[in-house]
Amino acid sequence: MDVPAIATQALTRRFGDFVAVQDVNLSVSPGQFFGFLGPNGAGKSTTIKMLTGLLAASSGCIQLLGLDLAKNPVEVKRQIGVVPEGMALFGRLTGAEYLNFVGRMYGLNRETAGKRTAELLEFMQLAEQPKTLVTDYSHGMQKKLALAAAVIHGPRILFLDEPFEGVDAIASGTLKAMLQRMIARGATIFLTSHVLEIVERLCSHLAIIHKGRLVAQGSLEELRAGVEAQAAAAMAGTSPAVSAPGEKLTLEEIFLRIVGGTRHADQELSWLG
Amino acid sequence: MAGLSFSPYMRGQFAAIARVRWQLFVNGLRTIRGRLEVVARGFMFLAFGVVGLGGSFALGALGWYFVSHGKVEWIAILLWPVFLFWQLFPVMASALTENVDSSNLLRFPLSFPSYFLIRLVYGALDPSTALGCLWLFGLAIGIGVSQPGLFLWAALVLFAFAIFNILLARMIFVWVERWLAQRRTREILGAVFFIFIICFQFIGPLVSRIGRHRHPEVSRITTQVLPYERAIPPGLAAEAIARAMHGAFTPALAAFALECAYALAILWLLNLRLRAQYHGENLSEAVARSNLRKEKRAIRLGWNVSGVPGPVAAILEKEFHYLSRSGPMLFTFVMPVVILLVFRLGPQASMRQSNFLAHAPDLAFPVGSAYALLILTNLVYNCFGADAVGMQLFYVSPVSFREILLGKNLAHALVLACEVVLVWIAVGFMFHPPAVEITFATVMGVAFALLLNLSAGNLLSIYTPKKIDYGAFGKQRASTTTVFASLGIQAVVFGLAAVTLLIARAFGEIWIATVIFLILAGLASIVYILVLNRADRIALDRRDAILAELCRG
Repeated sequence: MDVPAIATQALTRRFGDFVAVQDVNLSVSPGQFFGFLGPNGAGKSTTIKMLTGLLAASSGCIQLLGLDLAKNPVEVKRQIGVVPEGMALFGRLTGAEYLNFVGRMYGLNRETAGKRTAELLEFMQLAEQPKTLVTDYSHGMQKKLALAAAVIHGPRILFLDEPFEGVDAIASGTLKAMLQRMIARGATIFLTSHVLEIVERLCSHLAIIHKGRLVAQGSLEELRAGVEAQAAAAMAGTSPAVSAPGEKLTLEEIFLRIVGGTRHADQELSWLG
Repeated sequence: MAGLSFSPYMRGQFAAIARVRWQLFVNGLRTIRGRLEVVARGFMFLAFGVVGLGGSFALGALGWYFVSHGKVEWIAILLWPVFLFWQLFPVMASALTENVDSSNLLRFPLSFPSYFLIRLVYGALDPSTALGCLWLFGLAIGIGVSQPGLFLWAALVLFAFAIFNILLARMIFVWVERWLAQRRTREILGAVFFIFIICFQFIGPLVSRIGRHRHPEVSRITTQVLPYERAIPPGLAAEAIARAMHGAFTPALAAFALECAYALAILWLLNLRLRAQYHGENLSEAVARSNLRKEKRAIRLGWNVSGVPGPVAAILEKEFHYLSRSGPMLFTFVMPVVILLVFRLGPQASMRQSNFLAHAPDLAFPVGSAYALLILTNLVYNCFGADAVGMQLFYVSPVSFREILLGKNLAHALVLACEVVLVWIAVGFMFHPPAVEITFATVMGVAFALLLNLSAGNLLSIYTPKKIDYGAFGKQRASTTTVFASLGIQAVVFGLAAVTLLIARAFGEIWIATVIFLILAGLASIVYILVLNRADRIALDRRDAILAELCRG
């Protein structure tokens, strides 16, 4: 059996008395496009930060490609690419200088870093403004540059925190095509997004975190089957039908079912008119 | 400003803003760093208090002297420095960037009068306003003690003068703020500011030079300029007080009215600017971007520094890109040569302390080099500050903090080496080429001081980082805690250097200083290596705090 690309055991993070992530046991196989979902404040970003070394875990263990992140940080980081929440850009470099810099930080030689920089800028349609500083890029351009930087060294695992936020439809299509090509070549992608339609279209496997705890994990079909089984068991009660016969539950419906995201009439803000 | 009234709605908005500022302050105390900042600011407050009260007493005494000795016109000599301080200090002390961005308030349903008042009142809460008001109060008291009958009039005139200063400072602020809103104009303004600062350094030496000889043309120009001086607010305020004292009430009233007219004109200009802001002018960078020519260039390969590992060379290159794109930083690096020129142009015949280099030119190279080192500490003690969110890359990349700091330190050491060479050449031209033994002793001394500063700087960069912007005018200051710690380190470094030089002087052999500095540099290098070896552990332990500070919006 393959060593999981990403595996965590009892991963926990506390901020003082507040437990942001508690006993999370994740397992992501190599080559999976893995979606990590959860409502706001559920612990998604905290988890991804711990997985990428941006945040220390309070307890628990993280293994990436079979290596312990705490014990072998340099070896692990060499094989992963990250687009973190803040994008990790250096505003006063040009796009080309930034990609060159990142490439060399990941151990590429000058020639390889230069060649890949040129290709990535072209691919991301960022090559037309070579003198523009990153700080003067639009949000979407910065996002594309951050993604280019995350893949310049050919990572085996790619962590993406809200990669499509602020990216236009054309660029979004380009990025999705690139990510799917990476998957086809055996890379693993770990993605968080609030846009469930994108996750549903791209990801083969999912995990849902709610209030710091992992509440579901598996393929989309497995999650759907789980929700439908739960609903069937509750049919005798007052629970409404999950879906019309013959219709599949969407990811949004599955997500709402799992995290209990239903609204009650008494929660409406009556003063809003 | 018609229709300005304090409705309960408006009062509520004012109270809400005051409350949010208080809450920001209180919330800042939650962290140790925040508490340390408050302690450091407490010391600054004490220092300002001493300057404020001392200045107030001095102005009061001088005001009393001028009035009681029939030299009331000379009050203008007191008002000009107050005026210049009031307008220049906020720029010099970079207070321009310490204010809460009030334009954020525009999303709330504020009326224009409310917005105007908020910008005026909350923006004016700065040290220059407090000190200026305190000094003018002292002056009014001094005049009142000398001539009780003149007190009310003097107080009224000085009050109008204070209002004029507050309005002018705010007007300068909002216009500068408009230029700061775009990177390109921000950098141009930064360059202009530093040219101004450099020019400012030459006023003293040039005045001293002119003062040593009779220059009839200077006296003639002064006589011609004086009437114009009396038409400008500091001169007008002095004129209004002097005329009233001499019983010429109509000219006194006219001068006062003109002073008020100035204040109204400034108020109108301020109103224009704030009204444009209120109506939502677009200051985004997109305007500049639309003018960009589309072009493609071949990608330039990264630097190849022989004997230096790739990641360290990459960091070195990145640091030089950052520094070369920072107008304020580049101008700062010219300062050691400028300071030497200031000393060179100063009076050389007298034994004044301010121009000791004229009498001990051998010290020019050590002094210039020490100054270069002092300037560099601004970079060294907060070396991650300009990286901002880029700091995340250092944590996710497979490069140790030891290498990252090594790259940054190498860049800073190279900058200092260039500066020292520049100073050596400048000293050669301005005084005479430094003697070999002085050169060696200085280089060894600089090496020792640099290693010690790099060691302390690396630790402080990790322990008390502060987000800064090299390109933005006035946004290069490290945290107050770092500034105080840096002062302590400099005291130790300069103390050791002084003792070393005294020992060398006692033996009459400067080479002794070279040897001692060499030993000290050896010890400092051990400390440096120890710090570097621990950097990874400390950076990992501190990552939450570092990223929270550097990645904040």
